[in-house]
Amino acid sequence: MQDQQQKINPPKLALKFLRWFCSSDLIEDVEGDLLELFDERSSISYAHAKRRFILDVILLFRPGIIKNISYYSTSATMFQNHLITALRHIFRYKGYTTINLLGLVVGLASSILILTWVRDEIKMDTLHEKEVYKVWRNMYQSNGEIQTTEAIPQPLVEVLNNEYPQIDKVSTISAQTEILFRNGDETSFESGVYASADFFNIFNFNIIAGNGKNPLDDMYSLVLSKSMAERYFGDVKSAIGKTLMVNEQKQEFVVTAVVEDKNTNSAIKFDWMIPVEEYISRNDWIESWDNGGFYIYFSLKDGADISEVNARIEQEINKHTNTEVDERLITQSIKDTYLYSEFKNGVPVSGRIRYIKILSGIAIFLLVMACIKFMNLATARSSRRAKEVGVRKVLGAQKELISQQFFVESFLLTFISVGLALVIVSLVLPYFNQLTNKELSLSLTDPEVLLSLAGITFIVGFLSGSYPAILLPTFGITDSLKGMIRGSKFNQTLRNTLVVFQFAMAIMLIIGTFVVMSQIDYILNKNLGLKKDNLLYFNMSEDYTGKEDAYRNKLMKFPQIKDVTFTSGNPVSYGRSTSSASWEGKSPDDMLEINVMITDAHFFSAMGTEMKEGRGFVEGRQTDKSTFVINEVAAKLIGFENPLDQKLSVWGIDGTIIGVVKDFHMNSLYEPIKPLIISNLPEYTNTAFIRIEGDLQEALYQIEKTSKEISPSYPFRYKFLDQEYAESYSNEIIIGTMIRIFAFIAIFISCLGLFGLSSYSADQRSKEIGIRKINGANTWGIVYLLSKNYSKLIIIAFVLASPIAYYFAKEWLENFTFHVDINYFIFFAAGMIAFLIGALTVSIKSYQAASVNPIKTLKSE
Amino acid sequence: MSKYSIGEFEEIVLLTVAVLYENAYGITIKKEIEDRLERKVSVGAMRTALKRLEKKGFLESEFGEATAIRGGKRKRYFKVTVYGKRALDYVMSTRKQLWDAIPPMAFEFK
Repeated sequence: MQDQQQKINPPKLALKFLRWFCSSDLIEDVEGDLLELFDERSSISYAHAKRRFILDVILLFRPGIIKNISYYSTSATMFQNHLITALRHIFRYKGYTTINLLGLVVGLASSILILTWVRDEIKMDTLHEKEVYKVWRNMYQSNGEIQTTEAIPQPLVEVLNNEYPQIDKVSTISAQTEILFRNGDETSFESGVYASADFFNIFNFNIIAGNGKNPLDDMYSLVLSKSMAERYFGDVKSAIGKTLMVNEQKQEFVVTAVVEDKNTNSAIKFDWMIPVEEYISRNDWIESWDNGGFYIYFSLKDGADISEVNARIEQEINKHTNTEVDERLITQSIKDTYLYSEFKNGVPVSGRIRYIKILSGIAIFLLVMACIKFMNLATARSSRRAKEVGVRKVLGAQKELISQQFFVESFLLTFISVGLALVIVSLVLPYFNQLTNKELSLSLTDPEVLLSLAGITFIVGFLSGSYPAILLPTFGITDSLKGMIRGSKFNQTLRNTLVVFQFAMAIMLIIGTFVVMSQIDYILNKNLGLKKDNLLYFNMSEDYTGKEDAYRNKLMKFPQIKDVTFTSGNPVSYGRSTSSASWEGKSPDDMLEINVMITDAHFFSAMGTEMKEGRGFVEGRQTDKSTFVINEVAAKLIGFENPLDQKLSVWGIDGTIIGVVKDFHMNSLYEPIKPLIISNLPEYTNTAFIRIEGDLQEALYQIEKTSKEISPSYPFRYKFLDQEYAESYSNEIIIGTMIRIFAFIAIFISCLGLFGLSSYSADQRSKEIGIRKINGANTWGIVYLLSKNYSKLIIIAFVLASPIAYYFAKEWLENFTFHVDINYFIFFAAGMIAFLIGALTVSIKSYQAASVNPIKTLKSE
Repeated sequence: MSKYSIGEFEEIVLLTVAVLYENAYGITIKKEIEDRLERKVSVGAMRTALKRLEKKGFLESEFGEATAIRGGKRKRYFKVTVYGKRALDYVMSTRKQLWDAIPPMAFEFK
């Protein structure tokens, strides 16, 4: 019989399928029939017999033959029994349970935290009732580049309102600006936006007091956030109808409405809101098609098609301007603006979505790792469970029942873990919020949250239970009872694969951490081309107008103050540009956007920039008023062989180039350095930079005193350039910190798994160790013996992880125009860390096993 | 038909089991039907019929000895019960009554 079966076997899969679905009182003779037929047929043709066998099995898959489904519903008592056994196991093997739970809880808690963050990010601006779009402006440059900006010419609002039947409402919103409010003698700066009346008809902001319909109707109306209203007027209700003086306008504004503070779901944040008409009435430059103004949003009418709008809006600027300039408008759904705000060649390509992808990846990593660890330990312990399985089988348990038992166990553990993880998440959330600068919360009443939690529980429970549940019941009864299940080859290979997998993920995360950290380090310490340390700056109020020299002279008397300069903005984050610069040889059709900065004679010395050729401005020299200094990029762009003494015209000032300054960074390191023209017009500056040396406290005291003398009615506020610079990379720093923490957790989970596995193998080989010791092996020899296998696995993991990590690291770094080169030492270090931690974990348990007196292990049976 | 509900294929299976007498198990029944009626019978169709007949009480079954050729699986031998016999009788007599009631002219085709 054995021979016959060897020779001609019926298709295994079909047979398995039959056994799976066929009801138990039919299976024996049905299978017998099929085998008999198969035998008979295969004496004619094996292939034919096989085909017919499969066909027969498929035809048998019909009601009457398929197992009775009610079989499952009657197993409630069995289920109860599973639950009891599972609980017994959990309490019996406390060490094992702890390791298992610890890994699962930590993995789950981290994933839930990350997913909460991801959810918040993805949800940004998705809760507005209407379909809202934002307008972007693509500026086609002569050199083939496309610059994209959100500053849109204001006249477009009229056009959209009057000529586009598809559009419902249009709103203009300014960038967030800080203005000074006065309430009696009290003054303070608050940040907010100018917005047009339809703002509240497009966006869902919760108005909690005052005029809920059109609070921005009057030009001098003012909408406040709840927190600002409370700060000024005590409570929300009494704020309505009160007035606040806004300094810039020298005008009182009436509070018409108060909105809920935590509109965290919108990327548009403000403490105050003033009608944009008020701003426009003071700034008529904005009413021109040639100037970029504020941001424009619009909502569509129900059923309207955005593609119709897109087709028409593209050429609106070109239609209304006479210049050669090519500027096209595009729209983007507000649901995407938060995540995809970086444009390349006029198309949104990336943005915060990058970090969402990275962190979601990490969340999945951690979950999978926790599952793997669970599976691994369960498999390793299968020999211990084998006897139990054997006894159960002898007593008549079917395979399904035993599978069920293991699933119940893993689901129970997962369930407990999710519960514990939720407790941890709620404890950690405040700190996590602090880290990520968000107001995340996990509401368990939200069906979406509940559903995803249930989903996670199911997936993790299933994944971690699947292997033992499928493998263990297949062991033969006699083998199980004899305890002969000494890890089959397949079993061991699988276990090793999983360990490799787990460590590969951990190593990838470590490498990722190192790369991100080194890039952040690079950003913060990069030589920007100017000395950003010890440089204090602030926006000058109108009180300083004409008094700049006096202010500087007063300050320079103090020994702590080295230099003072006035500029038209922060040189490290600069964005004032023009396309109207002209020079000899420039074709009037050429469209080139060039930054223009206004400074005084002290700029170069105070900032610590270096001249490449020529000179800077000289104080008091009248002729220097019509001279320019350009940076290297501009020199290259303009294209003179010798730029010095060449003629240049910017904003109606005709002058000559007297120097070329070495490039310094004016934008984030994501972008290349842009061309820059520096002009010497101190009367048009608005920002003061003061370089401090020595006693900081004394310097601050003197600066404040001097400033108050000139501008007594304004609060003295200042920033440090290096701090502000670091602040502009806060996203990268936050993400870097998060990756670091989660990499650490990944290592922790891997080590837990390794610890469990090594204690298992030490356990299994206790007799062998005893015999070896009796024969003269020393402790360290045995530690080596037990650890070397795992060392190999970690090395394989390293080899696998490195190229993948390299690929992703490179891709991330290439987002930056300026980035560190990937240092191969990073890989080496990550590998070493994983190896050392892993080796240490294994050795602890191995050492323990190796130092036991052999008598103890050998005498017990 | 209210007393003994039995389908056409079920009737054939039941009769075949009777024909085979002591040698009626899955394969032989299948082959017998295939031979006599010259039609294909799938294992599935036959199994369902057998199961239904047994459930209705027309058939009873018991396991025989295990044989090597069937991969060590026992055969399940079927036998027609008294009740089954009555059902067959009933079917036959109702048919017969119908036949008898047909007027001779009905079958006079020209």
